[in-house]
Amino acid sequence: MNPLKSRKTLILLAGPGFIFLLCFFFLPLLYVLMESFRGVDNQITLSRYFDVLVDAQFQLVFKRTLRIALIVTPIAVLVGYPTAYYISKLKSKKKSILTTLVILPLMTSPVARTYAWIVILGKFGIVNETLTTLHIIAEPMRILYTETAIVLGLLQLFMPILILTVSSSLENVNSEVEEAALSLGSNRIGVFFRVVVPLSFEGLIMGVTLVFTGCFTAYVTPAILGGANVLTLSTLMREQALVLMNWESATVIAVIMIITTLILYNGIRAFRPRNMA
Amino acid sequence: MKKSKFLIFIVALVLVFLIGPFIVIILSSFNETAVMRFPPQGFSLKWYEKVFSIDMFRETFWISLKVGIAATFTALVIGIPVAYANVRYKYKGKNFVELIFSSPAIIPGLVIGFALLRFFIYVAHVPITLGLYLGHTAILFPYTVRVVSASLRNFDLSVEEAAVSLGSNPLGAFFRVVFPNIQAGVAAAFILAFITSFNNVPLSLFLTGPGVSTLPIQMLVYMEYYYDPTISALSSLIIILTIIIVQSAEKVLGISKYM
Repeated sequence: MNPLKSRKTLILLAGPGFIFLLCFFFLPLLYVLMESFRGVDNQITLSRYFDVLVDAQFQLVFKRTLRIALIVTPIAVLVGYPTAYYISKLKSKKKSILTTLVILPLMTSPVARTYAWIVILGKFGIVNETLTTLHIIAEPMRILYTETAIVLGLLQLFMPILILTVSSSLENVNSEVEEAALSLGSNRIGVFFRVVVPLSFEGLIMGVTLVFTGCFTAYVTPAILGGANVLTLSTLMREQALVLMNWESATVIAVIMIITTLILYNGIRAFRPRNMA
Repeated sequence: MKKSKFLIFIVALVLVFLIGPFIVIILSSFNETAVMRFPPQGFSLKWYEKVFSIDMFRETFWISLKVGIAATFTALVIGIPVAYANVRYKYKGKNFVELIFSSPAIIPGLVIGFALLRFFIYVAHVPITLGLYLGHTAILFPYTVRVVSASLRNFDLSVEEAAVSLGSNPLGAFFRVVFPNIQAGVAAAFILAFITSFNNVPLSLFLTGPGVSTLPIQMLVYMEYYYDPTISALSSLIIILTIIIVQSAEKVLGISKYM
């Protein structure tokens, strides 16, 4: 038998990785999952979930997190998609420069990147200084530590992801197809929506999935730009675990985050067109 | 095709939005006053001096560097064979196996960190540094598999089959025929994984404590107590370093196509 194709070789290749993940990833997650169902006398209970789900603060934070994701994702698509389209049409050298600029926010330290927004949005930041100097507002506005600040920070982080996934799927769209549609009498906007968008739909769905789930679970951006008063699901979980030492509710929030992420991840991807490669 | 002015306007706006903050933070790091103001007042390098005078930044920089290199290396050692199997084999349930292997990238880092803390530190009493290293390895693993798989797909594996049928043993064939052809992909995987580890906050947040911390976590701690341009200076240094690494990696390896 060909040693390159045998089942034994497959197990030897994938085995170490699988065992590693089993011990250092799945086992701890399973433990936390079991803990979340364990009652006072070791019996199985859902009471911890009820406690968290009926909690007013949790509901507020959950809705806020969802709202932020629902605001960031469409903006990222509306502005990121045309940018991706523009990049995909560039010649290789210009394309490389622009791509490097776009991926910069993804590669730099999230703390460094987010701190820049404090300088921009703070009480004496650029926005407030400019607006007060121009006498548009009398007093500095509060922008930092609001949902708006979180939305801006997340847009800077996730728009590059959308641009990258869409522009790589646009590489497969042949410009000749566009030219053909144009020469057959379609206008430019018509071509864009009836030819370009459908052909890159798969990449768009992937990008939307990554942005939406990313917004839902992001930590650094809401931690720095939302502060202690504007919590999201992840900063609430961190507060419960590390500040209030409330392991029970932190565990439940962790499980809720996993479930929500998996639902979102598979839910959005279900919109993928079946007939496309 | 003619490009519309409106499209160029949107792209320019996006670039200002994505890159502008980096320019702002670099300029603000030269502020003379301790209050963060923009445009900066005066010119001073004293915040850079302060960065290097703070022991915790120096110590955590080395911890971040060591954890990043060790975790990236381990993730590659177990990830390359998985990537190879991924590209070479077709079998029933492959989609499910791929999902299993990519799950550390899907589950939120914060949750992974919390689970590792609960299980390893409180139940199994594993030292926190070891927990930090294992956690980082787990989240880097899917990156290495994805990047190396992409690179393997561009290589014609029948060349390896030819080598084996000519009498080379499979392991020898891999190192002499396959590996030299995917070196760029492995290097790209190393850089991407290392940067991911070096920047990580959500996972490290739970796996650090007194005595063991990483640079990003230490920066967050500092920010809670002080509001001066020191973080601007440190951030600027990190940003410049990242630009140099990403720019050269893009030039040599075309790193963006692996992301």
